[in-house]
Amino acid sequence: MEAQTNPLIELRHISHEYAAVSQESDLVLSEINLSVNEYDAVALLGPSGCGKSTLLRIMAGLITPTKGEVYNKGMRLCGVSPGVSMVFQNFALFPWLTVRGNVLLPVGTLPAAEQQARLEKVLGTVGLGAYEYAFPRELSGGMKQRVGIARALIAEPEVLAMDEPFSALDVLTAETLRGEIGRLVADPNHPLRTMVFVTHNITEAVFLATRIVVMATQPGRVEVVVTNNLPYPRDTDAPEFKQMVERLHSILTHTILPDTSHPAQDKVVTKIDDFHRRIAPVALPYVTPAEVLGLMALLGDEPTDVFALAERFGKEFGSVVNVVKAAEMLEFVRTPEHDVLFTPLGRELVGASTAGQKKLVRDQLLKLKIFELLIRLIKVQEQHVLSAEEMLRELQVALPHEKPRPLFRTLLSWGRYAEIISYDQRRHIVRLYESRGAARARAKPGAPDGPGAHSPADPAAHTPAEPVVQSPAEPAANLPGGPVAPAQPAVPPVPAVPPVAAQAAQPPAGPPAQPGA
Amino acid sequence: MAFTLVKPLGERRSALWLDAIIVLAIGAVALGLTQVAAQWRHPLLANVEIDISLKSLPRYAFFTFVRGWIAYFFSLLFTIVVASWAYYDQRARHYILPALDILQSLPVLTFLPGLEFGLVALFHRSNTGLELACILSIFLGQVWNMTFSYYDSLRGTPPDFRMLGKLYNYSWWSRFWRIELPFGAQALLYNSMVSMAGGWFYLTTCEAFTSGDRSFRVPGVGSYMAEAMSRGNVRAQIAGVVAMGVIIIVIDRLIWWPLVNWSVRFKLDDFGGNRAQRSSLQLWLARSAAVQGLSGVWQSLRNRLLPPPQPPCAATSLVAPGTKPPAPSRVGPVIYIAVLAALIALLGWGATRLAWMLGQVHVVDWLEMGRGAGYSLVRVFASVLIGTLWAVPFGIWIGLNPKLSGRLQPLIQFVASFPMPMIYPWLLGLIFLVHGSLGWGSILLILFGTQWYILFNVAGSAAAIPNDMISCVEILHLRGWRRWWKFLIPAVMPGLVIGWITAAGGAWNTTIIAEIVTVGPRTYTTTGLGSYIARAANDGRFAQLAASALLMAAIVVAINRTVWKRLQTLANDRCRFIT
Repeated sequence: MEAQTNPLIELRHISHEYAAVSQESDLVLSEINLSVNEYDAVALLGPSGCGKSTLLRIMAGLITPTKGEVYNKGMRLCGVSPGVSMVFQNFALFPWLTVRGNVLLPVGTLPAAEQQARLEKVLGTVGLGAYEYAFPRELSGGMKQRVGIARALIAEPEVLAMDEPFSALDVLTAETLRGEIGRLVADPNHPLRTMVFVTHNITEAVFLATRIVVMATQPGRVEVVVTNNLPYPRDTDAPEFKQMVERLHSILTHTILPDTSHPAQDKVVTKIDDFHRRIAPVALPYVTPAEVLGLMALLGDEPTDVFALAERFGKEFGSVVNVVKAAEMLEFVRTPEHDVLFTPLGRELVGASTAGQKKLVRDQLLKLKIFELLIRLIKVQEQHVLSAEEMLRELQVALPHEKPRPLFRTLLSWGRYAEIISYDQRRHIVRLYESRGAARARAKPGAPDGPGAHSPADPAAHTPAEPVVQSPAEPAANLPGGPVAPAQPAVPPVPAVPPVAAQAAQPPAGPPAQPGA
Repeated sequence: MAFTLVKPLGERRSALWLDAIIVLAIGAVALGLTQVAAQWRHPLLANVEIDISLKSLPRYAFFTFVRGWIAYFFSLLFTIVVASWAYYDQRARHYILPALDILQSLPVLTFLPGLEFGLVALFHRSNTGLELACILSIFLGQVWNMTFSYYDSLRGTPPDFRMLGKLYNYSWWSRFWRIELPFGAQALLYNSMVSMAGGWFYLTTCEAFTSGDRSFRVPGVGSYMAEAMSRGNVRAQIAGVVAMGVIIIVIDRLIWWPLVNWSVRFKLDDFGGNRAQRSSLQLWLARSAAVQGLSGVWQSLRNRLLPPPQPPCAATSLVAPGTKPPAPSRVGPVIYIAVLAALIALLGWGATRLAWMLGQVHVVDWLEMGRGAGYSLVRVFASVLIGTLWAVPFGIWIGLNPKLSGRLQPLIQFVASFPMPMIYPWLLGLIFLVHGSLGWGSILLILFGTQWYILFNVAGSAAAIPNDMISCVEILHLRGWRRWWKFLIPAVMPGLVIGWITAAGGAWNTTIIAEIVTVGPRTYTTTGLGSYIARAANDGRFAQLAASALLMAAIVVAINRTVWKRLQTLANDRCRFIT
């Protein structure tokens, strides 16, 4: 339904970056053009970290984008949008106000009689008529979110913005509430006809939305907009519904698991010219070894759909996809289309003993460029001892688009599991792992030099600040992602320095039974 | 509990006598306030006579009470303004927080001569300057931890609620009252209680300050006590201690207790099992017609002062396409820069004055200060050590016994709020009884001023040990020595370190009144940085005062940074139970 009049919300060339912590700017959204017309129900769908929530807040005028303009019915927005109400993921109910107090917040300026009339109507709509004088702490999660929705509806907004409204609820409650919102949207007499909501749940998007905006990450951008014209009320078991879900599955798979025909990718090769290539390592997804091993144990012999897996594990598909990606990088699974399949190595892993599993994982990890880099980094240090601080700095240089701390934790958890590295929490240092026996043997000359001995790379040839791995087949000279500055000092050291205020600001200096102590 | 005995709200049989009491109380307070006003307007005298007969004591107690609350009001104002400034102005934050850190380690006595001379010169006709100086010195003992606590609350305000405030177009005024203050209320209230106790600590010094030949005494419990001490009148001393105790109990029961109960509603977590229990006092009050009448006035006043915010409207947040969004007002930044410039100018002037004063200090003085600092250092650490030795086992014992801690809590709270300097002459008498000297005895005096911090924090930490851990230790049969070293002491370490920081910081400031004590006609002094500062202040040697106070602040901050902060990082890193 193309609007002849101006759309309710229109985004033109929106880009947004957060104030950069380091010199690298943190681009959250890039070049977004989108419009929301009357009677639209728009779902913003995408993996975590794609800037969905930021985009929603930009539409509401809560965040001013660094580039681009927001239009509201043809007028340029330069403040908080007058016609937008918002529902928050964690409800954001004031604990000291009753349901009545919370719901009446946005309409305090109306005459008392009007307030009362609207309150009764809206509490009736969400089914909370008997809860007017309850405090939020007495309510269950689902009830709280009903209050949140009532508070948004009472202002009679032109657009209802919802930020993952059901994801803090348990599955059953979420289902109920989703159904109710679905009925409201479908009801031609109800004023709630235009809404924008953020979700990572495909079924939810297909169930509620007329248009589904699929977003991709790094930087956040609109991948494709899918129009969903299924008539309300929608039946999740209908073949058309399933077809739509399937279609979104494959779009998302291509967005999140790109180029699935190739085996595991552990490096990105960019051609600079005919003779030079830039090779940058790829980070492991932020998952733990236990998660990957768990996936392998639960994976059946049949090819299984990623989304079916997510449903079976009761997890958000984004996180399941990350686990699958990690397994794929280690060559334990293949992912043709959005199915997940064992590789022979994966089968071997499932059958192996605990020690055998460890060895298999270790061998696979040592093949990864990122571990190659890490081992080399440790080996060029004095006494082969790498400080956590230094490692964070190097990771930031080598992988400027990753968050150094989660990556650091991920590498530690894998490296420690596979007995490649060890980390001393007391002194915040990383070393190559060696068992007690090996350490004793090393005291004698000529003993093997830890797990790094398997690494083909020659430590002398590179400085640690150079994250780029030289491809053996190509001539030298390559540049890392950023300037080759040896250190980006903005990364804080691991032992977080407490703020100066810590002394007096921590008040528990007091009688033990005081609240707030 | 008593709730079964309390009659329902609607039944107001007892309201008449209650109303009578309330009206009488209001009348008494009003009468007292006229007395205070008279005292303020009274012409300035060279030396105020302090009457140590019992009949003046209630009046003096009321004066002290009012001073404490005016000082608290200033503290609250300062806290809110400075903490908000530090929170919202990222650049200023980097200067404000360290500055507060240094200011809180400067002893109150440092500011006292400057305040007294300056304000008395400013209001040379009446007592106003004298009163203000006294109030400001109480304020300086109260304010810092409140500011830090409120700053922390501002940082901890959930971002969703800030977004909500923006969505509803809250002004800063609305945002403060509806979001920031409620979320900070519990911590602020809690720190207010601690602060009030901190404010009383130097009462005897502040109310009865003399410098050189000038006397800056003001009538109050502190000066009453000081006079009773210098005359050696034990009956009056006991009366003074009782009066101070009554002030503390009244404030605790009539003000803090209801407020603490009321503030439970501002708890964000949903699982706060204990509902706000109304004390019987609150129920009585709620039944009184007078209070109900007042609450109506309060409601309308509140609606006037805090109107519901206007939702965002098209006129203010939309402009025609192509036009530029309106530029933000220039008035704010101009005022900001003006204030900042004034502040910097003031600081610069202060710094040059200070440098000039420090230049006057002779090397011999520095050497004496250094020697004194050595002695005081030993005393401070000895008192922290002794405090640790008894307070850790006792604190753990209390903390692990919820029943016991419930019973002991009012007592401990009282002891901790009581300004110990008031009983220093008695303690000193005990020390002399066993043929001790002030040199060693002052360790005991310091200990009495500061050991409570260790006790509280240890007890708080011990109470927070998860039950599973305790069961686990039982199953593992960890007993005796190993139980202490492997379990109990590490478990209370985070609290213990906070206790140490507070106790050591307080101990340094306490040396000022513990190393120089007046008993009867005699003043006992011992070598130390504290007694040096006290003597410099009393003799009006301002250059030496500034130098020695700065030295003390430098020592406190340096030890904090090098020893305590590291210990704190370590303790928080290793000894925290992850829940």
